[in-house]
Amino acid sequence: MEFTREIYWNVGHVVLIPMYLIALGSIAFSIHKLWQRRIVYLKGKPVNRFDNLSERVWYAIKTAIGQVRVLTDKEMGLVHLLLFFGFLLLTIGTTLVFIQADMLDPIFGIRFLKGGFYKIFSLVMDLAGLIMFLALLIFTIRRFIIKPSGLETTKDDVIMHLLLYIIIITGFIVEGFRMAATEINRPEMMIFSPVGMVFAKIFAGLDNIETIHKAFWWIHLFAVAGFFVSIGLTKFKHILLIPTNYLVHNTLPKGTIDTLNFENEDATYGVKSVSDFTWKDIFDTDACVKCKRCQDRCPAYASEKPLSPMKFIADVGDSAFTGTELENVISKETLWSCTTCGNCQEVCPAEIEHVNKIINMRRNLVLMEGEFPGDEVMLAVNNIETNGNPFGFAFATRADWAKELGVGLFSDGGEYDILYFVGCYASFDKRNIAIAKSFVEICKLANVRVGILGKEEKCCGEPVRKLGNEYLYQTIANENIEVFKKYKISRIVTTCPHCFNTLGRDYKELGLDVPVVHHTQFISELINSGKIRLNSGKMLVTYHDSCYMGRYMGIYDEPRDIIRSMGIEINEMDRNRENSFCCGGGGGRIFVDEKGTKISALRVEMANKTGVDTIVANCPFCTTMFEDGLKVTSLDSSIKVKDLAEIVLERIIK
Amino acid sequence: MNILVCVKQVPDLEAKFKINPDGKWFAEDEIAFKMNEYDEYAVEEAVKLRESIPDGNLVVVSIGPERVKEAIKKALAMGCDSGVHIKYDKENELDSFAKAYAIYQYAKDKNFDIIFTGMQSQDKGSAQVGIILAELLGIASVSTIVDFKFNNGEIEVKKELEGGKKSVVKLKTPALLTCQLGLNTPRYPTLPNIMKAKKKPIEELTLDNPQNLCVIDKISYPEKKGGAVILEGNPKDLAQKVVSFLKENGIL
Amino acid sequence: MKTLIVAEYREGNLLDSIYESYSFAKIFSDEIICFAVGSESALPEFDKTIKLYFSGIDRSGEYNPDVHKNLLKTVIDKESPDIVVMPHSSYGWDLAPRLSALLKAPMISEAIGYQDNKFVKPVCNNKLRLVLTTDKKPLIVTLQSGAAQGEKGSVKPDMIKLDESYETRYNFIGYEEAEKKDVDLTKAQIIVSAGRGVGKKENIAIVETLAQALGGELGSSRPVVDAGWLPHSRQVGTTGQTVAPKLYVACGISGAIQHLAGMKKAEKVIAINTDKDAPIAEVADLLVVADLTQFIPVLVDSLKK
Repeated sequence: MEFTREIYWNVGHVVLIPMYLIALGSIAFSIHKLWQRRIVYLKGKPVNRFDNLSERVWYAIKTAIGQVRVLTDKEMGLVHLLLFFGFLLLTIGTTLVFIQADMLDPIFGIRFLKGGFYKIFSLVMDLAGLIMFLALLIFTIRRFIIKPSGLETTKDDVIMHLLLYIIIITGFIVEGFRMAATEINRPEMMIFSPVGMVFAKIFAGLDNIETIHKAFWWIHLFAVAGFFVSIGLTKFKHILLIPTNYLVHNTLPKGTIDTLNFENEDATYGVKSVSDFTWKDIFDTDACVKCKRCQDRCPAYASEKPLSPMKFIADVGDSAFTGTELENVISKETLWSCTTCGNCQEVCPAEIEHVNKIINMRRNLVLMEGEFPGDEVMLAVNNIETNGNPFGFAFATRADWAKELGVGLFSDGGEYDILYFVGCYASFDKRNIAIAKSFVEICKLANVRVGILGKEEKCCGEPVRKLGNEYLYQTIANENIEVFKKYKISRIVTTCPHCFNTLGRDYKELGLDVPVVHHTQFISELINSGKIRLNSGKMLVTYHDSCYMGRYMGIYDEPRDIIRSMGIEINEMDRNRENSFCCGGGGGRIFVDEKGTKISALRVEMANKTGVDTIVANCPFCTTMFEDGLKVTSLDSSIKVKDLAEIVLERIIK
Repeated sequence: MNILVCVKQVPDLEAKFKINPDGKWFAEDEIAFKMNEYDEYAVEEAVKLRESIPDGNLVVVSIGPERVKEAIKKALAMGCDSGVHIKYDKENELDSFAKAYAIYQYAKDKNFDIIFTGMQSQDKGSAQVGIILAELLGIASVSTIVDFKFNNGEIEVKKELEGGKKSVVKLKTPALLTCQLGLNTPRYPTLPNIMKAKKKPIEELTLDNPQNLCVIDKISYPEKKGGAVILEGNPKDLAQKVVSFLKENGIL
Repeated sequence: MKTLIVAEYREGNLLDSIYESYSFAKIFSDEIICFAVGSESALPEFDKTIKLYFSGIDRSGEYNPDVHKNLLKTVIDKESPDIVVMPHSSYGWDLAPRLSALLKAPMISEAIGYQDNKFVKPVCNNKLRLVLTTDKKPLIVTLQSGAAQGEKGSVKPDMIKLDESYETRYNFIGYEEAEKKDVDLTKAQIIVSAGRGVGKKENIAIVETLAQALGGELGSSRPVVDAGWLPHSRQVGTTGQTVAPKLYVACGISGAIQHLAGMKKAEKVIAINTDKDAPIAEVADLLVVADLTQFIPVLVDSLKK
């Protein structure tokens, strides 16, 4: 006998019309529901997210099918992947059934679900159902029994879990009854539906197999229809919306913020109400499944600040869909709490863009209302306006740290290999001056001629930009660019990842096109080209990926390679690389009097767990925040913070 | 109602001052300038008053070289309606009377109802210009106010005295008030207001015959009395030295 | 030279500034006369008899700008002094410019010294000294408190009563007391003060640990109070409290003249500052050049041992 099965066994072809009506009707319902949401998305301003469409489509397909973003969380991501593939295979399988039974067979008499292919088909479908069931079971246990903190469970979740259980279980039941009636005497065939076989053996011998089968077949059909309907009504909409969000994802370099144009005098700036967002910003809120991965990784949330990226997105969505004013659902404190560390975006399986929404809302507060997170921040900003640094030191003293070091000033007319853009912290803060000096020493030993701008250098503008003060940012950025152009600067090195990002990426928008590297990259070059050689010697450290070197620039390995090349072993913190935990100093937060739990304290405690006595950092903000954190946790006697440049200088062969 | 606020642009006091060869003033080329802090409070109070009345006109005046336009623009961005720049390149050579007289020349026929000034400047700290201006105009004035209320031509202010004590004074317009720090919270100009300020008129006046009563004889650094023993080094050694100092002096 | 010194009263009490003015005036005067609107029960007494032009508070008000300036003008018109010295206080800096305008007389505020026949005043946050000269008279000078040391004498003045009355535009409603003090710094033996140099509010706590370790009170300079980091009751200086402890520790205080005036009477002064050129060095016995957030915890440890 042939290996195949009779499609529409027992229920007969009479079900065809009602079945298709129910299925298409429920699908149409959901499409209609989702299409209606489009009206809300279009409250937002236009933004072109359909350029390079073919690349976008390919990206969306591979990201969705590959479950690439879902796997940003290894464990739950894997479970979702299993559920997804189970679902995908069953969908494909069911589609194949329809293609054969309702198209190819009746029209052309072609049947392909037979023989060897049917064996594989049957086995795959059966196991897909099993895998889906098991994955769902894990989800259910997690959500309803373990209940991880912060996970919001609503009736949506109950409906979604129930629907899937009903579909899977009734699927097996229908299969079981069919097999009990048609295959019970063909074990060589049943073996290719192992789960179905179990059901079949239980059902075999029952009296009303055909009636019960029919009943379950209909239940199964209605459950599937219910599932189609629920796509339009529950978080199941993510099945369509998240791949769409991949399609319209942001293709600009990470950390790109739109450069505002201040020429139109009557314009308003930043986001005050939902209609000031783009349609993509609103679409983002609909794509969110509240998986809370962002919230779990948010340093502000971890330190009990009034910010959860998940809740923030939900609140923006609420405002968009209910019409409540944004300011009534999102407090200023929420907006000021963000460090722009970007871990929320890095981990988001839906590729939601949290940070720029916050920055755009801050822009409105600062530019339109003159607001600040606190007086101390206003003071820092005023100091930047007056003296080009947040501390209020006289601008003319900016190069004082470098007196006696033989660092040349471009204004003196010398020839230099690089412009060292020192930044405010390394220019004025004692701890960071030591790092600047170390870097300069290294360059000297490598015969690199280092020039600085001294009093002509100003704050790069990063903190004020992230605080929302785009106007001040552009003012000082343009002044810096003028100076770069005046001296025909051809290469810039910074010791600060914030300067590095801003000069290298943001200044491009303002017309600067000069290569910018971070000092760890530059040191790496010096090592690789043999200009400096380092002693090897055992040491144990932990390495902290700053947000703006790591997540924003993807530079994880170069610094680690330098460290390891000196024979130094790295005990990684649990939160490293893409999931590195912010020091608390980004987003202009370096100026803020941090209330309550300090983010830096949480981070140094993570470092403490690795059992090392040295944290290697690459950012003046991190160094500063950690020294603070070490003090408040009383770890300052056992752990110290060193910049990579300092470690290199200690090991350099002179 | 006509309101006037007088502002001064002062050097950033964090700067390292280098005295000019003539010994009369310091070099200004490496110094940042900004609006006198006391004047920011004066501007804020003036703008608040301006916003609270239906038809007002708020003028900001400043004396000095071209750069003081920045201070005027900041005041305009904070909410003043128009500016007056009394141009005088060597503002530092003017004494308080000369400055008050120059503003008086401008203001005497303008019928200002209320004039605000800072209590003093951060650089010279004379605390004279406001009061002298009021006297020249023949209007009442109160200095060092930390609270201001205005109701139908009647003003009630609190004047700060020593030790946190205040005296409460009522007077009628026209009047001049000099503002102490803490009177209010000076606003940060919003971007639309910065943009609008660029279009607000700034009238330029000249100052031909300054009425100086005093002249600068010289400026110098304070004498180092050498009183303090300067201790430097690592915190542990420093702490030891401080402890022994305290013991030697019978404090511990 | 002939100098007119002006007394100041607060709620009927004579303030000590008159004796500082007197001893300051002695440096350059061969004749000193005095002007006071005050209470007859609290007249200034000097080391010799001097002329005192006097009006009672009851008729002229404790401070009424219109009345006081006109009374003072009649005295100046009559006596033609070369110099008029007033305290640089809420009274003096208010009254003096009125006379300057009225008489078209030159005025120097906040004098802290007299050198080479000229008056010296601090400018730019005490970073510089300015010397002003004039050929006109009278020259009106307001004297920074603490710039001269002077004590009450025992000789009653030769009182000349002023009985003119003047119209006034000011309606003095009354005094409002300072916010309730949680501490009386004037009686403290040890004061540890925090200045702008502490950087941020939370570092106040570090300074407080030192105050506790030394068994002293926590004080502050004006910027710290303005920033709302400490209440006004903790403020040392001309607009706060004038203190005279055995030990004064100035943490992150650069030494604005207004602050120095309030703590000059301290017996021993230790300053902790990152800037060794800070003006506080002038009055300090020790200047520890250190970051206070690093140094204070170490010092507190040493003190505990």
